[in-house]
Amino acid sequence: MHVDPNWLAAFIAAPGVAASLGLLFTGWGLRRSVAWQYRLALIGALINFAVSVPVLLVTQAGNRLVLQMGLYQAPFGITVIADALSGLMLFFTALVAVTTLIYARGTLDDRDRLNFYPLLLLLIMGVNGAFLTGDMFNLYVFFEVLLVGSFALLTLGGQIGQINGGIRYVLLNMLASTFFLAAAGVIYGTAGTLNMAQLAERLPQAPPSVQLLIAGLLMIAFSTKAGLFPLFFWLPASYHTAHPAVTALFGGLLTKLGVYTLFRIYPLLFPELLQEWQGFVFVVAALTMITGIFGAMAVNTMRRVLSFHIISQVGYMIMGLGLAATGNPAMATFGLAAGILYVVHQMLVKTAILMAGGAAELEAGSGSLLRERMMGLRQRAPALAVIFFIAAMSLAGLPPSSGFVSKLWLLQGAIDAGHWAIAAVSLIVSLFTLMSMLRIWQKAFWGYPKAEYQVPSPIATPSRQWLTLAPIAVLLAFSLWIGIFSGPALQWFDTAAAQALDRAGYIQAVSPTNTIEYLGGSYDAK
Amino acid sequence: MSGLTAAILVGALFATGAYLILRRDPIKLILGLTMVSYGVNVLLFTSSTLRKGIPPVIADKKTFTGDISQFVDPLPQALVLTAIVISFGIVAFLVVLVSRRNMLVEQYGKAPDAPTAINDPFGATAHYLSGLDADPDDYEWVDDTFREPAQSERS
Repeated sequence: MHVDPNWLAAFIAAPGVAASLGLLFTGWGLRRSVAWQYRLALIGALINFAVSVPVLLVTQAGNRLVLQMGLYQAPFGITVIADALSGLMLFFTALVAVTTLIYARGTLDDRDRLNFYPLLLLLIMGVNGAFLTGDMFNLYVFFEVLLVGSFALLTLGGQIGQINGGIRYVLLNMLASTFFLAAAGVIYGTAGTLNMAQLAERLPQAPPSVQLLIAGLLMIAFSTKAGLFPLFFWLPASYHTAHPAVTALFGGLLTKLGVYTLFRIYPLLFPELLQEWQGFVFVVAALTMITGIFGAMAVNTMRRVLSFHIISQVGYMIMGLGLAATGNPAMATFGLAAGILYVVHQMLVKTAILMAGGAAELEAGSGSLLRERMMGLRQRAPALAVIFFIAAMSLAGLPPSSGFVSKLWLLQGAIDAGHWAIAAVSLIVSLFTLMSMLRIWQKAFWGYPKAEYQVPSPIATPSRQWLTLAPIAVLLAFSLWIGIFSGPALQWFDTAAAQALDRAGYIQAVSPTNTIEYLGGSYDAK
Repeated sequence: MSGLTAAILVGALFATGAYLILRRDPIKLILGLTMVSYGVNVLLFTSSTLRKGIPPVIADKKTFTGDISQFVDPLPQALVLTAIVISFGIVAFLVVLVSRRNMLVEQYGKAPDAPTAINDPFGATAHYLSGLDADPDDYEWVDDTFREPAQSERS
């Protein structure tokens, strides 16, 4: 099977064009504008999905698709590269994008949701670009593209809770981007290039102190985006204030993108430093898991609990990175593959459970677990209860779901390598996750609905029910598929991890030149 | 010498920005963020060699035979330009957010973060719940988590 690398541009062009065209419809009268924006956005997202399938298959066959924009050779032009890791991420991002669009159609109100769909596609464009780029500065730019989209989505509606959450979100993410930019400046001053393949050649030769500075700055930037232990405060302060569809999209994509950049950058640019940092990575992973789950136990509204679960689950992915930080290639591949599987599992299940939790909040008119407002959803919305139950059990790690397989894999990696402490922490946190899920189940779904809290549900009509529940079911079907047919599915993650750790192959695929040619002669930039 | 000046400038801008961000006033917060992004812009600028009077462009490339390493790298200037545009856009967005917040606070006469705002219908509830009565549990933070709501608050 062959795919022309030019198709990679479609991941950025399709959402970008659909979003721009959608904005043209704003003057048409509210209902018609929103309907057309939705149709265009759906077309854009479906094209994105359709392209991601062959890219996934080709990259899984062990190829890297490299596109040098404008045919400028590597360090001078813009490099776009898709390997198996990017391919997996792109496929599941496209899936999350399509399902979130449909879910949003079911749950959103036309009233003041103008421009929701174009903004969502702009965010997808940024996420796709960040997965594809082979250049540090472009990574920064795509981060900003998706952040600007997410700022607007988060505060769409302009209620004061959203604005308060939005200020914290914008401030902390902007500071993280500033650190990233500073790192880019130091990198360029040190290595004279921003192309990742060329950096992979040159950075390991830089003085150790400079390497430490760059790796530290990047660590601050990416761990803020990923929501790691000391830097996660923006996440629970803001996610629950937005519309459920927005929360689901953010929960499914944004922190995972931060984790992806950690998986991409550290094994590629700082292989030795990462091994030195193994203990540190495990400590951060453990603290992230523990603070996340204790935060989830301490708060009392549905989506706030689920937001803290996002943080706790990011700890498991970072545990995968820690397992990959070893000199033994087989074990490193095993650990990183487990981490990648966990990212994909979370993209599916976290989006699904935030969608289901949001639908439950809409159904009950409240997200409170402390009082009896949500009681008895099992009776009021049985289909939603079933879907939420499956998502919750997958999140807690019960078979036969992707949660079970991914946790098993991580544990096996940790125990094989003799990291007993992190294995124990992850098991205990799993138990607490299950407890937290049971608490939601008990407070929201069990019991009998109280007559005085009955409110008219905005998603009660059959068509809206269908649009709300079907996307969640699709995501969960993928999760169950990974769990049940884990043999073939796990091959994907092995390939992805092997490619992510194969530095020589990455450099060779991009093959950056070190010679600057001009008419008077040539100059060796090394 | 110019390298040292730039280093001191970056440090001063970062320090000022960090100090301002830690104030409670939203306007100072925005100013602090601007300072920090200026600091980073200067840092980016120093990643090419800082030399006086040397242009980043070769005037006549047909006849040029000299040493190309004697020219200043133009790329950091392009990077700085991109970074300025992005940080300007985000700061503008933040200004709008803060002014909108001030407007809402003025309109309803309540500090949205104050714990007294427990029955404020415009608190942390997302707008899709407006119209339904607001839920006090949506506001609480860790400090009053374990407090059972009093009977009078149950409304």
